[in-house]
Amino acid sequence: MVNRKTFTINMAARNRNSAGCWSAPEVYKHHEQRRVCISRPKYREGRKAKAVKVYTINLESRYLMVQGVPAIGVMPELIQLCALYGVVEEYRPLDEYPAEEFTEVYLVKFQKLTSARAAKRHMDEKSFYGGVLHVCYVPEYETVEDTRLKLQDRRRYVIRTTQNKAREKIKQQREEEEATTSETTTTATDRIPDRYEKTSDTSNTWELPNSNQFSSFPPLPLPPQEHQYYGHENQQESIATEDKMGTLHNAFVDVQHQLGQSSNFSQTSSDRDQRTEHRLTTNPTSAVRFVPRKTNLENRKRKKEEAVENLLADVSAKNEPFIGPKLPEPPKLDMEDVSLNTTVSLIRNTMKQVMYLLYCLKQVKTKTNRIEFILYSHNSWWKKSLIFFRWGQFQISNHWRKRLNHVAGFDHTSCLFAVNVLCFYFDI
Amino acid sequence: MCSKTNEGSDRFEYLQTLVTEFQDTDSEEAKEQVLANLANFAYDPKNMEHLRELQVTDLFLDMLTEENHNFVEFGMGGLCNLSMDPECRDIILQNSGISLVTNCLSSQREETVLSAVTTLMNLITHSSRSDITNPAILQCMLRFSLSESPRLRNLAAVFLQDCCTEEQVARVEQQMHGQQTAVGIPLPKD
Repeated sequence: MVNRKTFTINMAARNRNSAGCWSAPEVYKHHEQRRVCISRPKYREGRKAKAVKVYTINLESRYLMVQGVPAIGVMPELIQLCALYGVVEEYRPLDEYPAEEFTEVYLVKFQKLTSARAAKRHMDEKSFYGGVLHVCYVPEYETVEDTRLKLQDRRRYVIRTTQNKAREKIKQQREEEEATTSETTTTATDRIPDRYEKTSDTSNTWELPNSNQFSSFPPLPLPPQEHQYYGHENQQESIATEDKMGTLHNAFVDVQHQLGQSSNFSQTSSDRDQRTEHRLTTNPTSAVRFVPRKTNLENRKRKKEEAVENLLADVSAKNEPFIGPKLPEPPKLDMEDVSLNTTVSLIRNTMKQVMYLLYCLKQVKTKTNRIEFILYSHNSWWKKSLIFFRWGQFQISNHWRKRLNHVAGFDHTSCLFAVNVLCFYFDI
Repeated sequence: MCSKTNEGSDRFEYLQTLVTEFQDTDSEEAKEQVLANLANFAYDPKNMEHLRELQVTDLFLDMLTEENHNFVEFGMGGLCNLSMDPECRDIILQNSGISLVTNCLSSQREETVLSAVTTLMNLITHSSRSDITNPAILQCMLRFSLSESPRLRNLAAVFLQDCCTEEQVARVEQQMHGQQTAVGIPLPKD
């Protein structure tokens, strides 16, 4: 009786496990995208709007479900994107899973939980081939063994971290004790007047607050590494999208402000060689010079005109001696001809857009035949999307033109121009 | 070194602010948000010491007997995160955590139940083992291992395989035919 019962339990468990990954999936509550919480006070606001939810190890998994993948046969691209965050062990489309129209749902199994975590963090709510991905953990695809290992790893990690921290704390304490005993007198006289300015009348009793200060503030442990890491990354992102974006517009209102331009160049391509950068800084009209191979006559003509314009602007600027910072106002240059004036403003705008794109693009990874860029933009959810440029494929596809148009407000000429500049710039 | 210490104390102050807000506010919503924040901070082992110092462990334990299901879920999640750390585990054990957590096994919410099972596993020590692997809890785990939900099934299977002996399980299975205990059976919804 007993045996039969255990057998049935085991059977049931095994059946479900073996079927687990490949049986008809159900929609669980934790798949849903919860509503973002908007009632948080300022100090509790994170960098991203998030729902009120508690993450535990039970909710995490190396199995991810990716929803909202456009049904246009981009599975290889999706998996390549996933592979940026770690080794993908298995993947398959979840055909039976209820999906929105024209989208597909995929199951991706990473080798490590940390990879899945990174992938979720970076891919969730990001646009992908015109769709917006929703990525969530799907621990229900785990086997018993997966669950066991996950918990064991987690426990081990926590114990290791807390032990390290305790060790560090003791070390720090010792160091501080040594410091206090050897330098009591000097540090006391240096520090106390600063910290205890208000009570400095009682200057004779300095040493008392000092010793208190050390004993009542035990050396506090380090902040969490993960937070720090992501925080830093996010910060960079936010700087790239918001902070600098503002200054960028100022910098490019005036085409002559080449210094701003070149610094932006160097930011977008920090890993690029100094040579190109240098060229950029020394040649004020260099951006136009990047028009490569596919010679764009129109642009060349404009370049000349712009050179003239710059020259004129330079001369006018030189004639007036000015003191103090110059206002970043666009020079109102009148070419005394309506069509010329239109051309000038067209050039300006195109330049602005191209510089903007160059600024927005950050090279992520170079493979043998492919360069991937991340396009930053502050336009709603297009915050980050991947652009792939293939070798020798300078013509921008309709798809990407639409996207560029959407993100940066590019027109057809600007798109072509931008891609040509990019190809030259990154030496493709 | 100095900056690291500063950041550490910043974090401590921030967590302290959260705890203070939780205690001072009358808004259920704000309480839920802060509780969720604290529970998520408990996920990172580097915050454990701060949270212990602020007695967040007790705060979470208090939540388990609340009426509000979100409070229970978040508090249980926080305990699940904290209990990975041996020192926090001991605090939970000292504050009669086992019975409080065991009561959560009969929650209507899967997330709460899962956190409770994981927490119970984390709470197992040399001296607490017999309390946690008592027949009532084992019966409950046996039921869970037949659950429709794969997550609960797996977790219960890990509990049965890793935390108790085969004889224990066999004995409880035999008992199950005689009399059932009510641990882990949700109360009917009203």
